[in-house]
Amino acid sequence: MSDPDADRTTSVLARLVGPFVDRTVAERLVISVAAILLSIAVGFGIVLVSGRIAECSTAAWTMPLTGIGFCYDPVEVYVVLFNGALGYPFAVGEPGLFNAGWTPLNLSFGLTLSETTLLIFTGLSVAVAFRAGLFNIGTQGQLVVGGLATALSILALAPLLPAGPVAGVVLVVVGTAAGAVAGGLWGAIPGALKAYADANEVITTIMLNFVAANVAYVLVLEVFRAEGSSVVATEYVPEYAQLRPWLFPTSSDFALVALLIGVGFIGALYYFVEHTSLGYDLRTSGVQAAAAEYGGVNAKLTTVRAMTLSGALGGVGGAVWVLMSEGRWLASIPDLGFDGITVSILAGNNPIGVLPAAFLFGVLKGGALEIGFRTDVPTQLVAVLRGLIILFVAMPEFFRMIGRYAGLGGGGVARPAEPDETAGGEGGEADA
Amino acid sequence: MNPAVHLDGITKRFPGVVANDDVDLAVERGSVHALLGENGAGKTTLMNVLYGLYRPTEGTVRLDGEPRSFDSPRDAINAGVGMIHQHFMLVDPMTVWENVVLGNEPTTWGGLRVDREAAREAVVELSERYGFDVDPDATVADISVGEQQRVEILKALYRGADVLIMDEPTAVLTPQEVEELYGVFEELTDQGKTIIFISHKLGEALSAADDITVLRDGVNVGTVASADVTREELAEMMVGREVLMEPATTPQEPGDRVLEVTGLSVDDDRGVEAVSDLSFELRAGEVLGVAGVDGNGQSQLVDAVTGLREATAGEIRYRGESMVGESRRDRIDRGMAFIPEDRQERGLVMSYDLTENGILGSQHDAPFARSGRLDWGAARDHAESVIEQYDVRPPDADAEAESLSGGNQQKFIVGREFERDPELVVATHPTRGVDIGSTEFLHDRLLELRSQGKAVLLVSSKLDEVQGLSDRLAVMHEGEFTGVVDPATVTEEEIGLLMAGESLDDDSVEGAALHDAATGGPGDDPDGATAGEEGVDA
Repeated sequence: MSDPDADRTTSVLARLVGPFVDRTVAERLVISVAAILLSIAVGFGIVLVSGRIAECSTAAWTMPLTGIGFCYDPVEVYVVLFNGALGYPFAVGEPGLFNAGWTPLNLSFGLTLSETTLLIFTGLSVAVAFRAGLFNIGTQGQLVVGGLATALSILALAPLLPAGPVAGVVLVVVGTAAGAVAGGLWGAIPGALKAYADANEVITTIMLNFVAANVAYVLVLEVFRAEGSSVVATEYVPEYAQLRPWLFPTSSDFALVALLIGVGFIGALYYFVEHTSLGYDLRTSGVQAAAAEYGGVNAKLTTVRAMTLSGALGGVGGAVWVLMSEGRWLASIPDLGFDGITVSILAGNNPIGVLPAAFLFGVLKGGALEIGFRTDVPTQLVAVLRGLIILFVAMPEFFRMIGRYAGLGGGGVARPAEPDETAGGEGGEADA
Repeated sequence: MNPAVHLDGITKRFPGVVANDDVDLAVERGSVHALLGENGAGKTTLMNVLYGLYRPTEGTVRLDGEPRSFDSPRDAINAGVGMIHQHFMLVDPMTVWENVVLGNEPTTWGGLRVDREAAREAVVELSERYGFDVDPDATVADISVGEQQRVEILKALYRGADVLIMDEPTAVLTPQEVEELYGVFEELTDQGKTIIFISHKLGEALSAADDITVLRDGVNVGTVASADVTREELAEMMVGREVLMEPATTPQEPGDRVLEVTGLSVDDDRGVEAVSDLSFELRAGEVLGVAGVDGNGQSQLVDAVTGLREATAGEIRYRGESMVGESRRDRIDRGMAFIPEDRQERGLVMSYDLTENGILGSQHDAPFARSGRLDWGAARDHAESVIEQYDVRPPDADAEAESLSGGNQQKFIVGREFERDPELVVATHPTRGVDIGSTEFLHDRLLELRSQGKAVLLVSSKLDEVQGLSDRLAVMHEGEFTGVVDPATVTEEEIGLLMAGESLDDDSVEGAALHDAATGGPGDDPDGATAGEEGVDA
């Protein structure tokens, strides 16, 4: 609360988002859990209402006393959503807390973890840019470009090496590196545009998403399309160069090694941000650009660096998607990059927080598939319930973020009850 | 007759802190009362109790003898108590009269329509009654800070305030605006209003107030009539010990040239030339003071020297090397310390704790960084040593910068920069917001650096500070030095003339400029343009 002009112009915003800015980690966790419960309560109502509107031969649930029947059972929906995402570890309607014979190595849990793994990379990509004060909406494009580079580099190199596990390791490493480089370069473009031409990175990254998707589509369609393929896709990379499911069922498309690599990236990024000079530069630019400049940080270079790193992480996400999920580059790419934005917001842009945030997304994805198998609830309604949970959980963090972005917090807005210590000198008083 | 405001035995406790301890305060109707004390003495807390922001733990608030209990500022406003905060609460794009009536608009149609004519009329009438020179139709964004303050006062008066509380009202004003504010005080008290203002500046309390109450550590040390007390006595009441008002400088022969500035021109953010063809030099073991009304190019000069702003023309040489194209990083590495003007924008990262803030600027240098990795243990030791030496409170390296008071933030920045072992210290308002006990200490440290042979470029709006510490005193007006004078012999009147842009005819200028030809005012260098083409400083 230093600049009186900013104080005045943001006073309305301050009242709206101020209370969210200065929360501690513990408070934020409590807020997140409360938000999930609240979203479930709202979702309950929506399931009931749609269950009343929908037509079905037998009611899935009948309201006690009134005898009104509903087509969908809200309790069942949420039980299946969370329990099903893990492969039903909890016994419902049967004796005992746990189902005997449950093993974590089941298909549903594999699907959940597969989604989690992919979102770790895109979540980290968005988070690292956010930490530098940059809104990278372009992780999707960086993922597309990175994935294509991975597929093409492996397809080009594979014939030169003798097939086998050794070649597999080499190809995976080279392919992932190619994805990182391509994604990094793709991310460096909006970084450089921002630093040297003052082009807003939100706009440029969104535009580059379209460029990436369409250029990649045309390239594959015209040049690299697999022979005889009915869809726009490259050839499959050799099986030994894929990240194959291990322990988990094959159809889960989940390779434990990829998750471990993701967790390794989380640790590395956390160390980078908190314990290195460049990380200090990066996050100082993010929270207070003028102070960073005062401290000798080259703002332009830091912008380019952060966007390059962010793009590289998106590119690695693309590599993992190609090597683990599809085995080839395919034109129909899920919105992993966009979900990464929400994951990052959910995580408070903290690398460590990306793990639980990505897992929540994974659970919602895996659980939604289970609801489709087990109940008559339409997928659109499940998507609404997912959206509700994400909206409720992300909103406080989102408020916090725009609050910080607007330079709020740390003043009197969120904590008026402080003694004269904060209000004695001239300058930064609790004044709101 | 009962006093207009009577605080009776107010105690306010926060967890772990007693902010006010059994404070009595009586303010007579129609008087100006200064509440004086160092940072953290409990002034603002006491006023927040009166304004209904805090409930007192013990004690009673009486207005005109009536005990009152306020649950919120709204109650206080209804009882005729208004508060003007240091940072104004105005809506920039709206007009003056709109701001004044905002929230209490006169309405017609049963509250559905704002009666704009009546509202504007009421504001005009009010500002005429108190002789305020404010255009009611001007947009707040376009008027000066002093006028904005008057709009705030009008807001309080419009809501029927009889008692006006002002928190550090002069902090944001120019000297002229301060004079005008004192005039406003007189106008208001003539019409029976009562004013309480918070301050930590002795001179301000002495010249503007009828009575002065001094708080120290949450306790009322005493209330005195300003006519019966001296600066020294007041200072002693505030600090609790005797304070030397004049820093002790000893003459010293300056050494090598550390900073040479030739033909420097710098633009401000709007692209308007703020520093024009300026030349001067600064030697080791010398303090060059720069005085002037804020906004006459001092900020841009300092930014250009420290590498935060590119010069449009001219050259800066530092220890014999041209700084053209050298980044801020390079200048830090070459031993330039910089106490910035805006401590909360630049000097500190508000959301970082003091350990993290202690390495700002040194984050790539040993002992805090080794091959790119940060050593947080070393950083913490450093922060703790600065905290201890410079008496930063609370003494907690884990405290976030934003939780510190302004004065303590400043002490931490000054400590961090002084302990950098610099060759050149660029200090902008180094003691702004710092209480007088700590100011004394910071001045001593600054003179210690000088005697160790460091060069100091000191920019301050406190005239006694620049005059007392400098070996030479440059006065800046509209981007140029109107004179470089000997601070020991120059009078305040002469400085005032120079600050207003007039030149001095007598030879007090020459006495100071003895050892350099390049101290130039505007007329010194008719060929300044040639210097300007030498290069652009990055």
